[in-house]
Amino acid sequence: MLKIKNLHATVGGKAILKGLDLEIGAGEVHAIMGPNGAGKSTLGNVIAGREGYEVTAGEVIYQGKNLLELEPEERACEGIFLAFQYPVEIPGVNNTYFLRAALNAQRKYRGEPELDSMQFLKLVREKLEVLHIGDDLLHRAVNEGFSGGEKKRNEIFQMAVLEPSLAILDETDSGLDIDALRLVAEGVNRLRAGDRSIMVVTHYQRLLDYIVPDVVHVLADGKIAASGGPDLALKLEEQGYTWLEQGGIKALKQEARA
Amino acid sequence: MMNAVGATPLIEQWSEAFRAVPQSAGPDWLQELRSEAARQFGVSGLPNRKTETWKYTPLRLLEQQAPSIEAAASASPANDDLPQTVVSASSGMVDILNGRLIGDLPETPPGLTLTPMADGFEAFGATLQRLLPAAELAGPANAFTALNTAFLDQGLIVHVAENTDGGSLLLRWSRLAETSARLDNFRLVVLLEAGAKFELIEQFESAPDSRGVLNVVTQVELAAGAQLGHVRVQRESEEATLLTKTTVGQAADSRYRYFGFDLGGGLVRHELGALLAGEGADTDINGAFVLDRKRHVDNHISVDHAATGCSSSQFFRGVLGGASRGVFNGRALIRPGADGSSVRQSNANLLLSPLAEMDTKPELEIYADEVEASHGATVGQLDETAVFYMRTRGLSEDESRRILTAAFCHAVTERLEDRDFAERIAGMFDAAMPGGLDSAGER
Repeated sequence: MLKIKNLHATVGGKAILKGLDLEIGAGEVHAIMGPNGAGKSTLGNVIAGREGYEVTAGEVIYQGKNLLELEPEERACEGIFLAFQYPVEIPGVNNTYFLRAALNAQRKYRGEPELDSMQFLKLVREKLEVLHIGDDLLHRAVNEGFSGGEKKRNEIFQMAVLEPSLAILDETDSGLDIDALRLVAEGVNRLRAGDRSIMVVTHYQRLLDYIVPDVVHVLADGKIAASGGPDLALKLEEQGYTWLEQGGIKALKQEARA
Repeated sequence: MMNAVGATPLIEQWSEAFRAVPQSAGPDWLQELRSEAARQFGVSGLPNRKTETWKYTPLRLLEQQAPSIEAAASASPANDDLPQTVVSASSGMVDILNGRLIGDLPETPPGLTLTPMADGFEAFGATLQRLLPAAELAGPANAFTALNTAFLDQGLIVHVAENTDGGSLLLRWSRLAETSARLDNFRLVVLLEAGAKFELIEQFESAPDSRGVLNVVTQVELAAGAQLGHVRVQRESEEATLLTKTTVGQAADSRYRYFGFDLGGGLVRHELGALLAGEGADTDINGAFVLDRKRHVDNHISVDHAATGCSSSQFFRGVLGGASRGVFNGRALIRPGADGSSVRQSNANLLLSPLAEMDTKPELEIYADEVEASHGATVGQLDETAVFYMRTRGLSEDESRRILTAAFCHAVTERLEDRDFAERIAGMFDAAMPGGLDSAGER
């Protein structure tokens, strides 16, 4: 699904990613953990194509295509979805209108017929039911005045409607209380599928109690420092990132090898 | 006439025109009022850069065209030559072509009367004798009101009887292209008796190459508990000047709700002043504009809280492309004793081009206790994070920008109660949006 090789990226002239390698197979859920400033959000933004994130070396191959050559909207149309850490409020743009315009833009790109408002509403109702979300979000402006939990649920709802092949959840747990976290995680779990890969970017292990990953990566100083199973997340939670920086990586690597 | 400080060839020309007008129609007090008004504009001259309230609105377009003041020839154009109506009003439509009433006034439901100014001095003599001289004439800032008064001839009186719903009325202002530029004056008087309800919708349009000035002074009186909805939809030509001055006197528990939608015009200025004179009066003044090329729109709003427990809101949004220029001046005065007032003001503007300019100035003066006040004014560009957010959902950059820009004005149209009408106006804004940053100067 996704192959990243030796990725180097700078933000405002500062090197953030320094030779990152990562491979995610179809249907897999990978967690990217790491201390603040390690480059977690940069990775998500580089994959989504945000301006100001400059790739200086390496490659990102997605479904056999060179992702870095595509505009953000082309990446979206190819099936990449970034759930924002801070979903953007868009006053004056109705949530339903926005999502239908987005879905139809993607369908048009793929040569599929656009959905009229009745067809779209039917689809939306189905998705709301699957995610156990009320329809109150539909009638409001995109994220405007939403609580932290509502914003994150709206991201997952968008993901359900757009049905991406690769979803990147950037710190989806940040700012959520435990109930909201559980709701959002349940939503993500319902969207797990054999043809859909998910990258969960998080600082804390607790989200991974609810979204159990296949692989956990530790990102430190712009590189994947270690990779392992779900236990690796627990180990980090127990020991903290400071331990990691003070030589723990070596120990982890040996553990992983063993 | 003595050459006063502000005198310009235009003032000379108009003073000359005033002397040529046969002073026949109307009662004696009106003749005196006209002469006094003519004397005032002769003395003060036109507003210029030193006139505080006109500082950001130069009158170049008007000075270049040097419009003459003379009655337009009566015309009865075919309906096809007139612009399409923006709404179908329940109580009918009044056509005003080149500043003159044309055609027959519509048959109105009981309680609503429409009277041409010339016939109004009998039926509304006492009211007019009180109201017409109340318009401020002194100083260059009021020069156009003085002009309007000196040449007072064309006008309409709208009256809604006590506890009556007068429905909605459309005023269709149109200007056809003419060889020479004219300045046309019109006086509108709107009187709502106690408990009356009414919707006034005005549409202003002109042929693409029409020039000149339309100078409309509107005087509104709302008796206790009266409710007036007032909407203006303006799509004038690039060479046209539109000046409106509206004063609203509000008695206790009356409600005034205004929407000004400016989608065109060369030089446009709306002055709107509400006097909250009775306890519990409420005024809600909204506006949105989208400008391109060298268009200029100026909204000068002033709300005077003179009684307790009144509320006012000013809500304006502007989108500026090309080399256009916008002005917003929102004043709210809470007089001593006007305790328990609530005043809100919000003005946000989007600049799509480096050549566009917006001058915004909130003025809150509070001299009373227990006043709830909020205000905010911004001038900025599109939120690039929002553009990126929309692109990550699959929308193209152009489409994202277009949607975001239109949404800016939808914040105002959404405040209209009539959903169908709101959608139609929103659609007009969508169609008028400059395509984006790259199309500055183009529509």
